[in-house]
Amino acid sequence: MLATIHTLNILLPILYAATFFVYLYDFTKDKSTVSNAKRIFLFVTLLVHTFYVLARTIEFDHTPITNKFEIFTLLACTISCAYFILELLTDIRGTGLFIIFFSLVFQVISSLFIKDLFEVSEVLRNRMLGLHVISAMLGYSGFTISAVYGLLYLLLYKDIKLNKFGIIFKRLPSLETLDKLCFNSMLIGFVLLTFAIIIGITWLPSAFPNFSFFDPKIISTVIVWLVFGSMIVAKYVAKWQGKKVVRFALLGFILMLISNLLSTTLSSSFHKFY
Amino acid sequence: MNLVGITINHKTAPLELREALHLSSDEILELIPKLKAGLFDEGFVLSTCNRTELFGIPKIGKIIDHTTVQDFLLRYKPVAGIKPEHFNKYFSCGAVKHIFNVSSGIDSLVIGDSQILGQLKEAFLLAEDMDFAGTLLKRVYDAAIRVGKRTIKETAIGEGAVTVSYASVQVVEKIYSNLSKKEALVIGAGETGELAAIHLRDKGVGKITISNRTISKAESLAEKVHGDIIPFSELIEHLHKFDIIISATSSPDLLFTHSDIKSVMKKRKGSTTVIMDIAVPRDIDPKVKDIDSVFYHDMDSLKVIVDQNMQRRLEEIPKAKKIILNEMSNFFSWYNTLDVVPAIKSVRDFFEDIRNDELEKIRHKITDDDYEKLEDMTRRMMGRILHNPTIKLRELAESGTHSQQAITHALILKELFNVNGHTALYEEENHKETSE
Repeated sequence: MLATIHTLNILLPILYAATFFVYLYDFTKDKSTVSNAKRIFLFVTLLVHTFYVLARTIEFDHTPITNKFEIFTLLACTISCAYFILELLTDIRGTGLFIIFFSLVFQVISSLFIKDLFEVSEVLRNRMLGLHVISAMLGYSGFTISAVYGLLYLLLYKDIKLNKFGIIFKRLPSLETLDKLCFNSMLIGFVLLTFAIIIGITWLPSAFPNFSFFDPKIISTVIVWLVFGSMIVAKYVAKWQGKKVVRFALLGFILMLISNLLSTTLSSSFHKFY
Repeated sequence: MNLVGITINHKTAPLELREALHLSSDEILELIPKLKAGLFDEGFVLSTCNRTELFGIPKIGKIIDHTTVQDFLLRYKPVAGIKPEHFNKYFSCGAVKHIFNVSSGIDSLVIGDSQILGQLKEAFLLAEDMDFAGTLLKRVYDAAIRVGKRTIKETAIGEGAVTVSYASVQVVEKIYSNLSKKEALVIGAGETGELAAIHLRDKGVGKITISNRTISKAESLAEKVHGDIIPFSELIEHLHKFDIIISATSSPDLLFTHSDIKSVMKKRKGSTTVIMDIAVPRDIDPKVKDIDSVFYHDMDSLKVIVDQNMQRRLEEIPKAKKIILNEMSNFFSWYNTLDVVPAIKSVRDFFEDIRNDELEKIRHKITDDDYEKLEDMTRRMMGRILHNPTIKLRELAESGTHSQQAITHALILKELFNVNGHTALYEEENHKETSE
């Protein structure tokens, strides 16, 4: 099993790179013949990745959440998975390139530095913690995808305003579609992050003796949650749309990055396990 | 092949001459019987706003050149100032190639224009209805339609907007995802406004409203696109209701200023508005493009799209030419077999006659069972003997490159077995028997 895990660890960045380049080819070519094939590439990559995550969980007897490189591979998987579902549901195929790029980066970093960890703290083997982290990861994936769509929205918005009718204009879906994709990804991310926070608040105090509500990670996560939450309320109540939604999605994403950076750099956080 | 044709089109003659020589459906209906009586056994007449073309197979035994066809056409519809150099002339292979070029859209004024395929279809169908389309022309027609369809399917020659009014709709589609929920206003019911309104209707815009200084014109266009009208004087009060505004009037002054649109956006609470100013001079202050969520485009910016798409279409021409070449090769493979098929048939008939003669001689000398067996055996034997020469001749003819060789082979075959002599003799004997 260990040999298989090591092989897959090398294979996964190659698979993500191949998928990325197929999506890139499809994006740049006028009458591409790989429009359906690229979906198969992504599906196979996801299957292999899911098997890899399961194999690690079984072999090392813990969910792969115990260090940042395990979390990176999980993040790569959840981002691509969320995109794959979105592509199947909406049949919008022109944006995958920008999202799979994130999965590729996360997986390359993970594959380069990940280690075989047999010995981890007992609390990290807990299933509730696994659920807490995985739902948070899925939430973050939603926000990442939302930010990508937000960025694409701004690019297309600028191009149309400035009469630039190049590849961005030709290949991307309409502004309204990008706006919807951005908001829906944000909404899904928000629901999953809310779920992660609820588990955190109800279970973590009993599992961690040094638990504190003033933990920097908790404070920053709540800020992220509030930013996205207020955006969602504004969308429904004040009928916000377009650039306003997109700017908030990008602001929330930046805050999310800062929040994660804080939890891994501030030694006082109980969220720091490694 | 004896196909002869002439054309006057946007490449050979100015608009006024093309217009003067344009033939209406009634005129074509009147011309075809005259062509049938005087020049051609089969043919067709195509006449659109950009071209008038006349193609046909000359009557058997009649020598017809392009000047004869040209004079015939000009006798039917005299046009002052027209000269021979205003016509392009085609013959045989060149004629077929030209028809394929036309059906593919690469010969059109707007490259990739698919409308010509429909017009070509109509021209052929009219010829068919008037019993003017024979086997050869039908085959040319089938191949031409196939060229047109393949060009549309296999190349991007027909893609992208090539008119300003359609380009404006293309931009609208990049902004809104579901046009059925949007409301559009078209200001000006002239030619450009009408085209824009029709494009919007074709794209399924939810509600189209027309406004024009002359209300009757607005009503007429609104009826065409199943839309409403609003009086020109009340435009500003209603402007905020529309997601898409296309302005195409001939007004010498601005219709809406920057502050007009700013107050419209306030009423719309910042909701996206697309403004297409396709009027010359412009109807709307171009500074409105600085307002957030306002997408303003004028003729110059839309022309960028048109030019890009035109360039893209030009780049697709080699692909279309490849299709034309492929279909020409298929067509001439078929055409070349026309020369050898009668030879094959007469050789087979010749052998069949010998077989029947010999069988007849022994018919009463053997039992019925034996006769049947012998009949089967001789049929199989004939089949095996003639299989190779038949296949070889067909292959030579279909390859296209050895068509003359195929004809020579067919002649030698007939010569060796004295097939023509045999047929003549056989026919003579038959004739004698009948008269007796």
